[in-house]
Amino acid sequence: MSGSARSEIFSRLREASRGETEENIQRERLSLGSAPSPMPPTPENCQAFILNVLNNQGSVDCVSNRSEAVKAIAHYLYTHFHNYRLVAGNDPRLAAMPWRDAGVLPRFGSLEAGEPVALSFARLGVVETGAVVTWTSKANPAANNFLPEHHIVLVDKNDLVPTMEQAWERINHALETTGRPRGINFIAGPSSTADIEGELVYGAHGPHRWHVVLLGDIPVDAQNIARAAPKDQS
Amino acid sequence: MEQHSDTFLDNASEALKNTGQAERRDKIALFASQIRTAAIDSFEGFDDLRHHVKKIRQHSLDNLDYYLSQFEKEAVHNGNQVHFARDSEEFNSLVLDICQQHDARRIAKGKSIVTEETGLNSFLQSAGLNVMETDLGEYIIQQAGETPSHIVSPALHKSANEIRELFQQKHDLGHRELQKTSDLVAEARNVLREHFLQAEVGVIGANALIAENGYSMLVTNEGNGDLCANLPKVLIICTTIDRVLPRAEDATAMSRLLARSATGQPHSCYTSFYSGPRREGEIDGPLETHFVLLDNERSNILSSDYREILECIRCGACLNHCPIYTSVGGHAYGSAYSGPIGSVLTPLLTSLEQSHLLPNACTSCGRCAEVCPANIPLPDLLRDLRHEEGIKKLSAPRWRYGLKLHSWLARHPSIYQTLTATSIRILHRLGRKRGGFSRLPFTSGWTSQRDFPAPQENTFMQLYKAKMKQNNER
Repeated sequence: MSGSARSEIFSRLREASRGETEENIQRERLSLGSAPSPMPPTPENCQAFILNVLNNQGSVDCVSNRSEAVKAIAHYLYTHFHNYRLVAGNDPRLAAMPWRDAGVLPRFGSLEAGEPVALSFARLGVVETGAVVTWTSKANPAANNFLPEHHIVLVDKNDLVPTMEQAWERINHALETTGRPRGINFIAGPSSTADIEGELVYGAHGPHRWHVVLLGDIPVDAQNIARAAPKDQS
Repeated sequence: MEQHSDTFLDNASEALKNTGQAERRDKIALFASQIRTAAIDSFEGFDDLRHHVKKIRQHSLDNLDYYLSQFEKEAVHNGNQVHFARDSEEFNSLVLDICQQHDARRIAKGKSIVTEETGLNSFLQSAGLNVMETDLGEYIIQQAGETPSHIVSPALHKSANEIRELFQQKHDLGHRELQKTSDLVAEARNVLREHFLQAEVGVIGANALIAENGYSMLVTNEGNGDLCANLPKVLIICTTIDRVLPRAEDATAMSRLLARSATGQPHSCYTSFYSGPRREGEIDGPLETHFVLLDNERSNILSSDYREILECIRCGACLNHCPIYTSVGGHAYGSAYSGPIGSVLTPLLTSLEQSHLLPNACTSCGRCAEVCPANIPLPDLLRDLRHEEGIKKLSAPRWRYGLKLHSWLARHPSIYQTLTATSIRILHRLGRKRGGFSRLPFTSGWTSQRDFPAPQENTFMQLYKAKMKQNNER
């Protein structure tokens, strides 16, 4: 059934098509260039990214090294759960974190029932949307992004890119060198819905809260924005 | 879904009687247009973006055979099976076949208007499958046994109270009262979480297909589509053949238009790209993935004068800004697609005979074209469909003769001006005292809701001629 459907559909499409050669089609697409993107709220990348994460109802910690990152995560866990447990993917970058520095007890693997917090290490952060980008692999089970009550995401400052076009440049390079993952996820905030009378509610299906830990040499102004924001947004 | 656009007028009258729903629609219309305007005002290059995406869409449709076959090749390379369906029947059978090959009983479904168009749910259910909609709005209307009233917010017509009562009937709540909206959301979350974890097949839609790498793009705020795509063992992505874009960056450029136009957000929470089964060493994700691509007249629309309608990005802005849609709501249209987009698309997907009333559900105010992020000339397409309706003699003879008379008069200005001047003078004299009329022949549609104001003594043309004469005398 599908075979004949396919040939019938393609024959109708060919009739409607301009019948250009591949070379001409590629050349025409190239001539259309790239899309305009919105101006960032401020020119400095870290600041703009943090502002957009806050706009997305996320919360942010700025840390300058991995030991501080672990301490910030420990503080977050204790504030919300009075314990130091979380689930993290089998990501070598996460395994190499100095967890003992703050007594955090990660379980490496995929989130299971009854586990409220998962940690991911983002491949990229997109300044334009305040989104983090992850892709599925053995180092990053999808369940850890979409099933926890709280999702914590580490983003390296060096992985920030200004626009979605630049994000795709980096992703395309990765797809060419390390193969295509089955899923690429841009995540910009906790899960939300306004399906009941237009009232915005967080935690529709996925995380109620979304916490970003920005790692690296962060300008003081950007740190101040993160510090001044309310910690209890979503 | 079962179409009943042929009773649009009765459906609309019925909808207007429900004052609660009408009030909610008024509020949403006001609110939706304000948040859209705010989102667009804060993005200076919005119009340039609109033009850019329009060019990309035109380029993709001009070369759809090339891009669709490129998509197919890349998707197969990524490990997917790609299927094509000429019509709803084939589409539904393909999806059912896949489910049956896996002995699936439970299906977790993300929002997909295409599957509303084909009536997939009832088809799968009649084969004994347990299909659960997982988008909150879709879940609510599925529980209520209704159809979506809006392409973005399917349960827009229901109040929180109605939803509370629905959950009280359908769920085992014990003593829980679900007073707040967040309680209602949490209740649905718990019920659906169970279903996600047990479902054998996930079904999702796609906002775009990407030719260069064979991925689909899915944009949501709830993240339910991502659970459907990642938890069950089999994933079926359902969409139509016209959704293909050349590059990934074209899809994200479109998403910039989509979120701002649909919900006034600068972007949605989850923008996800999927292609293929679990890779080596992965501990979750589907083991088998399928794309089912529907034509259903689209390849014919592509070679017709209505081809621009295929550039629609399904944001719902034309619905939110349409005075007819916001008065009568989505159900009146009797089709999966409502509002201005539905009034063009429905006759093209089915037949003008079945749905010729829809292109008449238009005041020609032009707001839909103003707000359409895809720059589709909706009022022109609606007019062209009305023109076809006239040629095919589908409208009532009284209406057709009335239009013919009007057209003849418009082409004979002196007779037109004499007639209008006479009737205006009579109306002016009759209505002078009261200032208006509560009843007039042929105008009950107007006077049932408000008085018809008595006109001034002279017509515009009379005043204009007098003014010109005065000027010439000077």
